[in-house]
Formats: sequence, C-alpha cells, structure tokens
Amino acid sequence: MTGASPVSVTDEAPSQSTGAAIGWWGVRTMAEHEFRLRLRAGRWRWLLAAWFVTLLLLTWGLRAALVATGAAERGVDMFGGLMLFMLALAMLVVPALTAQSINGDRERGVLATLQTTLLTPAEIAIGKLVAAWATTLVFLAVSLPLIVWCLVEGGVSVGRVIGTLIATALLLGALAAIAQCLSAVFARSTTSAVMSYLVVFALSIGTLIAFFIGLMLTTETETVTERIPVWDNGQPQFNEETGQPINVDRWQTAEYEASVQQTEKVWWLLAPNPFAVLADSTSGTVEWERTGFDPLQTIREGVRSARDPDSGWSGVASTEKAVWPYGLAFYLLIGVGALTLTIRRLRTPYGRLPRGVRVA
Amino acid sequence: MEQRAGVEVAGIRRSFGEVIAVDHVDLAAPPGFVTALVGPNGSGKTTLLLVLATLLRPDSGTVWVANHDPVTDPQAVRALTGWMPDSFGTYDTLTAREVLEFAASAYRLRRDRGEQRARELLELIHLADHADLPVHVLSRGQKQRLGLARALVHNPTVLLLDEPAAGLDPRSRIELRGILRGLAADGRAVLVSSHVLAELETMADRVVFVDRGQTVSEQELADLPRSERRPWRMQALDPNSLVDALDRYGIEHADPDASGVEVLLSGDEAAAQLLARLVRDEVRVTTCAPVGSGLEDAYLAMTEDRR
Repeated sequence: MTGASPVSVTDEAPSQSTGAAIGWWGVRTMAEHEFRLRLRAGRWRWLLAAWFVTLLLLTWGLRAALVATGAAERGVDMFGGLMLFMLALAMLVVPALTAQSINGDRERGVLATLQTTLLTPAEIAIGKLVAAWATTLVFLAVSLPLIVWCLVEGGVSVGRVIGTLIATALLLGALAAIAQCLSAVFARSTTSAVMSYLVVFALSIGTLIAFFIGLMLTTETETVTERIPVWDNGQPQFNEETGQPINVDRWQTAEYEASVQQTEKVWWLLAPNPFAVLADSTSGTVEWERTGFDPLQTIREGVRSARDPDSGWSGVASTEKAVWPYGLAFYLLIGVGALTLTIRRLRTPYGRLPRGVRVA
Repeated sequence: MEQRAGVEVAGIRRSFGEVIAVDHVDLAAPPGFVTALVGPNGSGKTTLLLVLATLLRPDSGTVWVANHDPVTDPQAVRALTGWMPDSFGTYDTLTAREVLEFAASAYRLRRDRGEQRARELLELIHLADHADLPVHVLSRGQKQRLGLARALVHNPTVLLLDEPAAGLDPRSRIELRGILRGLAADGRAVLVSSHVLAELETMADRVVFVDRGQTVSEQELADLPRSERRPWRMQALDPNSLVDALDRYGIEHADPDASGVEVLLSGDEAAAQLLARLVRDEVRVTTCAPVGSGLEDAYLAMTEDRR
C-alpha cells in the first residue's frame, strides 16, 4: 500500500529544483520517452528500408549516367546529387514526423497529464524536439553507406562530407522546430500537417518564385547608346592584337533600350532556400576545369553571382560574398523563435484558451 | 494554514468565452477525508478539477491546494498533487510498467526509486501480472486503474480524481474504495467526483453538491437529511402472503414484481415495527431495505427544482 511508505516527494528529487525552467533531467526524460514512443509506433524497418533503397537507386543512376558521359572524378557529382535529393526527401519526412507532436498528444489525451507533472513547458518542448531531430538523424545515418560510396569514387574530401551533413542536420532541425511549433499553434493535427508542408513548399519553391518575381519587378530598362563603326568599302578591319576596329571611315550612333536585371537587389530572397544554404555552405573551392557537373557547385555559383553579379561566372573562382550565413542565420532565428512560441503555448495554467483547444 | 493543506476554494469563477463553466464555487477537501464532488453533467466539476490541477487559471476567487496557490506556484502544487482526468489517453505502445516509470521520472523521482514505486503501485492495483504487456491490450477497467496508479506515483498529499470509478467492474470498485479510504487514513486529502452515488456513499466522508457552476451545499455525509417517508423494498418466500398481510395492515404498497414489493414507510422505526408484525404473523420475509441512498435522496432533492 502507498501508506506503507509515506515519503515526501521533494526529497526524492534529483538536484534539479522543481522551479527550474530547463533541466538536463527533464529534457532527457522527455526525449527518451518520446523517442521510445516513436520507435514503437511505426514500421521503422520498412520506412528506413524504403528510404535507403530510394537513395541507392538515385546514387546508382547518377553513377551510371556519369560513366556514360565519361566524366572523371564521379564522386563529387554523385555526392552533390545525393545530398540535394536527400535534403528534398528529408523535408518531406520531417513534417510527417513532427507536425502532430503537440496537438496529437492533446488529441490522444496524454498532454494534460504531462503538463501536470514536474516537467516544465521548456523541457517538454525541447525534449520532444530533440527526439524528432534524432529521428531525422537516424535517416541521415542510414544513408551513410551511400556517402561512403561517393567518397570511394573520389574527388570528395571527408571534411566536405562532414560539413554537408552538419548543414543538412541543422536545416532539418530548424524545420522540425517549425513543424512542432505549428502543432502547438493549431488545435487539429491535420491542419498543422498541411501547414508544415506549405512551409516546406514556401521555403524550397516559394523562395525561387519570389526571387524571379522580385527580379522582374526590379528590372530597369536603360537606353544604351552604341557607336557602330562603318567601313565604306564594306570590309571591316580589326587590329589583330587588340581586336579594335581600324581604318574606320565614320561612326554611326544607334540607340536602343536594354533591360538590366539587378539580382543584387533581390538575392536575399534566395537566402532562405534550403538547397541554396546547403550548396553554398558546403561546396568546396572550384575545380572548374574538370569535366562533369557538380549540382552543389552550380547552385553555389548561381546564388553567389546573384548577390555579386560583377564577379561573373565563367570559370572564375566564385566571389567571397557568401549567401549561406544569411540563410543559416535565418534558420537558426526561425528555429529558436518557433521553439519559444511552442514553450509559451505549453505554459499552464491557461488563461485564455485558443479556439478549439480543450485542456484535457 | 492548516486548513489549506488539502484543497480550499473560495468563490472561484471560470468562463470560456460566453460560457460560464464555474460560476461561484466554495469547497474544502481537508486532509484525512474523502470528499465527494457531486453534480449533474455540465455542472462544472471537471472545470473545477482542472483549476485545482494547475491547468486552468480561474477568472476570480482564491484557490489553495496543498498550501500553495496553483496560479502563482503551479510547480509546488504539482509536486504534491495527483490528478486523474475523467477521460485520458495512455501511451498504448508502452507497457504498464513503462507508463508508471515514465511518470515517476517526470515527477523527478530517481530511476531506482521510480522502478520501485512502479512495482509497488502495480501490486496495489493488481496489475503486476500484466506489468509487461502493452497498455493497448489492457481492458478499460485495467487502464482506469493504471490511471489511478499514475496519479499516485509521486506519493501526493492531495488527490484529485475525476470519475475514477467509471468503467470499473464491481470488484475493482470495492478495491478502489479500499485504496481511497487508505489514502485518506494516511492523512491525504482526496477529492472524488462521480455520478455513482451509491458508490460514493460508502466511500466518502463529506459531500459537496455543485449545480450550474455553483456550490449548492457542502456537508458531512452522516449529516445528510433523510426524507421521512421513503420507499422500502421487501421480499418474502411467498410474495402473495406478503401482499395479503400488507393489505390486511392497510399499508400502501406498489404492485409486486420479480424484485419484490415496494412499500412507503416513514422511517426506520416504522420499518422495524412492520417487520416484527410480519414475523409474528409468520410471513417469511427475506429482505427489507430502503430503496436508494441518503446521497441519492439528497441529490434528487437538490436537482428537483432545477428540472
């Protein structure tokens, strides 16, 4: 019987005091619990197998294509393609794993009993996020053999692989925080799931659309005056060394309208694009002369030249003006903001209840 | 301060938009007693318990739970309070033991202490044999008992139980009564809401009636007024001889049915007299008991004018 051991609770407690906002104990307890629930809930073996096979087919296909085109150093191109595809796939998986984290618990009737324990709102939110993030990292880990394959093919440095994986993990962590926040904001789990996919869409495709619309809106037309050399005998002559026209009889002037795109005004619209962040932060210094087509490198050149159009594309080492720090800062800010809002939404006792939310 | 060691509520009010769930409730659930919270559906019982369980902020009024204010110091209240909601989910894929061990660590009990506590509680609620089965294979009553164990995991001094008997079979109900009496005897304050009045009558020391968000009355169960004239149910080996005798005595009775005859009597004295007379006249009576309970009478009297 309980009566046999009338011990007060507080002197059982580990060193964390009951008033502490965030404690290691609480976060770990919550994360372990959540991770165990996730582990038991789904058919992970099948899900992870499907994930691996999809990526395996892609990598194998890429390699076959590169062999056919006779590219040297296939590793770089394979790695770039694999990582971009993996990020895209993971961005589909993360909302599915996280967008019901809070409101799903409420619907199942287990949130209120959690909130009345000594776990603080911050511990609940962070613990759940850690578990969600860890789950996505399992997916990344499963893909490691394919990355090793890319390494074996040559051309990719281990440092670059690690950097790319860290960038991917950070992006997916921020995305998980956003999806979890949506699950705390919306009462119904279907709503938050749909909203999460809209966020993924907005970040990956919406940013591109916004960039091109912005580009059109900022495009200016300017009148260009051009002097055209005229040779009366119809035989143009040029200096062989400088390429300048020589023996010109007279000059005509022609005026025409030219549209000038000002990518430097709208490049920042590309900064939150997860693929741009991944590519720009991780692709190495240029080995531009080599044959082949590194998708990461291409995206990097694209966004950097958008920010700094004067740097030019052609075969030149890319500009020092990186875009990824802005993108990564954006994700960190959004991630922290989303987590903060989640914590606020979990705080009890509730004063005003959000529409459609039942406490228990 | 002593008063506040249990639950002490004065004039609280809580509305959800236009709907006033709790209008004006006063209530005390002192340590060492089982206090029953009784009222019709929608009378504000669950909302009241949510306020006590630190989940809802009252619009006005004062609340003390285990010497702390659940609004300003919810963590202190949570450390000392066990709450069992009327409908709750469990983690279906976990085992009963894992559910309790998780609850223990969520209340910051050390791991070894939590494991020990889970064992104790599984014994207490007779789920030790099912400890390592996933919760989804448990019956509704077993889940309900697990919910009770979960609320007890941190050895709280105040217990808030919302319809704990719902879905329990008779044996489990009797055991629940034993557990709650034991907890009260330990000096804990136990507040139970229920519709099963007959059950509460044998379980509770005190009763608080609420209706439409207001406290209607609050009293010791022993002090409940019993209406003078009430039905008694009688059975005899030969129902016809019983009916004949009643007709002879000129005592008002209903038509006999399979469960016996209902007789209107004014009080215990009248019942004793009637029994003595029947025995003298050699009517072989087997049962004579008042219909309904004091709590039921009081409940019906209270809600009568509200229909």
